[in-house]
Amino acid sequence: MTGIVTTDPIVSRAPPPRHALALASAIGAIACGALLAATIQSSLMMTLVTQAIITAILATGVGFLIRQNGVVSFGHAAFYGIACYTIALALKLGVMRVEFAILLALALPTALAFLLGLVIIRIPGVAFSMLTLAVGQAFYEFAMKARHVTGGEDGFSVSLPPAILGIPTAWFQNPHSMFVVSWSVLVLIIFGLALIAASPFGRLTVAIRENEERARFIGYRTTLPRVLVLTLSAFVTAIAGVLFTLYNTFVSPDVLHWTLSGSALIMAIIGGPRLIWGPALGAIIFFFTKDIAGDVTEHWQGIIGVILIVVMLVIPSGLGGTLAALWQRRFGHG
Amino acid sequence: MAESHAIEGSKLTRQFGGFFALKGVDLAVKRGEIRGLIGPNGAGKSTLIDVLSGRAEHRSGTVRMFGTDISAMTAQQRRHAGLARSFQRTNIFPDLTVIDQLDIASRAAEMPNIDEIMAELNLTALAFRRAANISYGDQRRLDLALALIGRPKILLLDEPAAGLSIGESLELAHILKDLAARWGVTVLLVEHDMEVVFSICDRITVLHLGAILAEGTPDQIRGVPEVVTAYLGSSV
Amino acid sequence: MLVQILNGLVYGGLLYIVSVGLVLIFGLRRIVNFAHGSLFMLGAYVGFSVAAMGGFWGALLAAAIVLALVGALLDIAILQPLQREDPIVTVLVTFGLLLILEDFAQFVWGKDFLKSPVPTMFSGSVLIFGESFPVYRLVVIAVAALVALGLSVWLRLSKIGLYVRASSADPLTTAMQGVNTDRVSVIVVALGAALAGISGTISAPLLALSPSMGSYILIESFIVVVVGGLGSFAGAFIAAIVIGQVHNLGLVYVPWAATMIPFLLMVGVLIWRPTGIAGSHV
Repeated sequence: MTGIVTTDPIVSRAPPPRHALALASAIGAIACGALLAATIQSSLMMTLVTQAIITAILATGVGFLIRQNGVVSFGHAAFYGIACYTIALALKLGVMRVEFAILLALALPTALAFLLGLVIIRIPGVAFSMLTLAVGQAFYEFAMKARHVTGGEDGFSVSLPPAILGIPTAWFQNPHSMFVVSWSVLVLIIFGLALIAASPFGRLTVAIRENEERARFIGYRTTLPRVLVLTLSAFVTAIAGVLFTLYNTFVSPDVLHWTLSGSALIMAIIGGPRLIWGPALGAIIFFFTKDIAGDVTEHWQGIIGVILIVVMLVIPSGLGGTLAALWQRRFGHG
Repeated sequence: MAESHAIEGSKLTRQFGGFFALKGVDLAVKRGEIRGLIGPNGAGKSTLIDVLSGRAEHRSGTVRMFGTDISAMTAQQRRHAGLARSFQRTNIFPDLTVIDQLDIASRAAEMPNIDEIMAELNLTALAFRRAANISYGDQRRLDLALALIGRPKILLLDEPAAGLSIGESLELAHILKDLAARWGVTVLLVEHDMEVVFSICDRITVLHLGAILAEGTPDQIRGVPEVVTAYLGSSV
Repeated sequence: MLVQILNGLVYGGLLYIVSVGLVLIFGLRRIVNFAHGSLFMLGAYVGFSVAAMGGFWGALLAAAIVLALVGALLDIAILQPLQREDPIVTVLVTFGLLLILEDFAQFVWGKDFLKSPVPTMFSGSVLIFGESFPVYRLVVIAVAALVALGLSVWLRLSKIGLYVRASSADPLTTAMQGVNTDRVSVIVVALGAALAGISGTISAPLLALSPSMGSYILIESFIVVVVGGLGSFAGAFIAAIVIGQVHNLGLVYVPWAATMIPFLLMVGVLIWRPTGIAGSHV
């Protein structure tokens, strides 16, 4: 069995106090984020961090699918990019208010994931990876080719109104305030996913991941729960797409390209998808390593390939998993 | 018409290419009975369990449960109707704790008798252990527990004692007989351990090359010469 | 019209040669090599570099040998040590390899598109039913046909071929037959890599060379393998030919949607038959 999905106990019937603890740490984390934004003056630094956090949400979506379903998607850029293009096109065509465009941008990829899931979720392991790669890339090809709508390769600027839900749009483009927004969203997503993972539904999907046949023989339909995990994972990814669009106010087919899916996957693996927060950690490490490595070498892509292989072979539970294990050894009990 | 049987397979046939795993097997188990199913390797015992439980499709014949034709039901529907099974190789959820997987199973069975099951199968002390980390004997009892959650009406067991020591096998057999009697569970038991089979089964069916060779009480089976020479040897 | 069908055959043939390497490895090991497209890309570049001095045949031979060695190394250094792991580990490790190989190609041959000339001996066109058709494309079809034929003869008659076919039908039973699996695996992976290399070399004059050309063909060949039914040679052959045709007809009649057609075909086939045209097991 692969170490990326099975090494340590990850599920337990959490007694109620742990929920309170999780909520407290979520609130604490949001406060820390606000404090961090207030402390760091450098706009350049904040731009990098904000970009990292938005991508961390994408990676969290990819990682949740690995954690609950045990399958590896190479196509999540489709859900991300469709969210981006939905807002951008809705505003370009002027068919709806920005608030509705955002809702639609969350709904479309989620609905797509549900329908697609009904077709592909039963396809196991490696074939699932191949398929998601191919399906994801189909949307990229479409965005490239449908030039009259999407502007093709060049992409186009998104014209946002001055305020969204009463909030000045400029706040979403300022790296400091956008960091606080994205960070809070990330924390809330991780908190929400942790609750879901600890719920009967979360445990059922882990059971199906581990032993699909036995799950059927104890009386469960095993398709729908897995489709719902994919749907949820796509929803989280779509949130990242929405934030990206509000922040960057520009879309191009890059947001649909499979290399984005691949990067998100690498982040999830580096951070460790067994932990809900692992992929987000991986994303932050990815961005900072890229920033540092980018200054000294042109071979960033090769380096990340090497890192991926090393992580897979040496610490399959990822950096997050390793940290958690160390923590447990140091302070844990039992 | 007499009371319908708990589980009844008629003229069950399953084939792979030219090889018949089952050739027109008729099997009827009465309500509350513990039926043993024995025979040499490749006789079709596991295939029969697979067909009855909905794991494998059969080519012809019907499966009835308390008189109702369940041939078209999925495995999951059969479980909800009260037909549970275990597997030849330990088939649990290694990454989940004992209590978590029993909890999941009880939600499907809509009967939260986890504590009862854990007590009956000596699993209470292991409740919060991860299934991969408990002993093999404990895993086998957990496997049985997953099938017994919700007090199914019919239980199909595929070698529940495989790999257990003599002491553990007999202990398991004892628990099984006791629970079946108290909860009114009809059991169809495939088992290689003849001591287990002959000590707890009310009746025994002998399969050979996909067909029934003999059927009767343990004493009657001991007296069938073909069974003794072909399968039991002189030990029983 | 005939010319269009021939063009479709060119592309379908190339796809088949690439995809068959994936099918071979999947049949034997139940794993997928995500760096397979990069082997195609390396083959194209190696061929490009050698063609300048060694001519077309020299380039083809060099690409086949270099890639066979790369394949053997890949099997010994990566696939064999990982064979007891979950296949997903191999997917991720070979994905890492893909990134490294693209970076390597960029380092050696640069980022810019390179164009490989059509070999002089195959330059020019012939008239087919009154329409002109490049000779080189006919050569590509011939090479693809030879490979397909050679491979099916090899699979049918050689001991290793027999083993590979048996293994793709039933890996469990075959594992008990006492064949030296590691040796078979080195040969099979080297063969698959060499075919990807050959395919890269012969397609070099038809495509623009770039380090990312590997990912494009990888995705297309995944579609072929999935539509054909994982591990099925016949399925991959049919799928490659069909996709070659629809791809090409799409380019002619609905150019804006052409690149989407193989994807739609794949989704359609999967709804109809989740295990592909010829698939039984996954």
